[in-house]
Amino acid sequence: MKYSFFVILFTLLIFAAFGQPKYFTKTGKISFYSKSSMENIEAVNTKVVSVWDVASGQIEFAVLLKGFEFEKALMQEHFNENYVESDKYPKAVFKGIIENSKTIQLSGDNVSTVKVNGTLTLHGVTNPVSTNAVITVKSGVVAASCNFSITLADYKISIPSLVAEKINKKISIAVVIPEYQSMTTK
Amino acid sequence: MLKKIILVVLVIAIPLSFYLYKEYHRKPADLSSVQPAAKLNAGAFLDEYEKDEANANHRYLGKTIQVRGTITEIVKQQDTLANVMIGDTASMHKVSCLLDKHHIGLINQYKAGQQITIKGICTGFLMDVELNRCVIVEKE
Repeated sequence: MKYSFFVILFTLLIFAAFGQPKYFTKTGKISFYSKSSMENIEAVNTKVVSVWDVASGQIEFAVLLKGFEFEKALMQEHFNENYVESDKYPKAVFKGIIENSKTIQLSGDNVSTVKVNGTLTLHGVTNPVSTNAVITVKSGVVAASCNFSITLADYKISIPSLVAEKINKKISIAVVIPEYQSMTTK
Repeated sequence: MLKKIILVVLVIAIPLSFYLYKEYHRKPADLSSVQPAAKLNAGAFLDEYEKDEANANHRYLGKTIQVRGTITEIVKQQDTLANVMIGDTASMHKVSCLLDKHHIGLINQYKAGQQITIKGICTGFLMDVELNRCVIVEKE
């Protein structure tokens, strides 16, 4: 997984000098939220890596599961040890395509809603994910955000029966890229 | 009999509920007083990850690791996040240390090019080797 990522990155760097820009960031933010009768579960990770090739529309996100910070230590330990098993599966990766990526206005202030289709690999399981994303261009800063939800069972994440009723089976995920850096200038 | 029940409640139930309450509300540990599982130079640490990520994860993932090296960049975001990159400016990969939000202040005494020792929880390898909840180690 590591090598494929660098191969893509390297290829992007080589072609960066031509045509449409390629964007990347190491400081994206992913948070997830689950509401339940007993308590709300919330965690955030501010070191999301993402690469977006505007010409082909290819977009990738990678995140380390141990990097999610919870309010409560016990929740964080359960998340890592019992749910996502981050020792065995340290990363989650999304690979997808932004529809009509080429036609997105990236000059001047602009807000576009785009459709993203791809696959999310989490806990060793890969599933298709489709969502709408918003690309915002303001004073030369390209930012992006999207929300989607996943069902834990789809990723073979099992909840102990003791707490099953207290944990929502659907998790809402929010992705925010505060600033994509252009590879042509960096 | 009643005395016995009262005694059981006092001896077991109260400390147990107190323990459970504390455990439930426990915050992620502050690493200032945590003894690191390993002490390494940034170069050697990165080397291990570049050569064999799975093996390095096996050794370091989720553990408190103390790393010494040269600061290549300090990135601050919205006053609440500070990230210190350690390593070799010429190298593609660095050790990326996200500081514990309660220990951000100390970084103002440092700038790029200086040596620094930081300990944090190793969360794995993406473009850089990532350490979280980092604290700066002033005295070794």
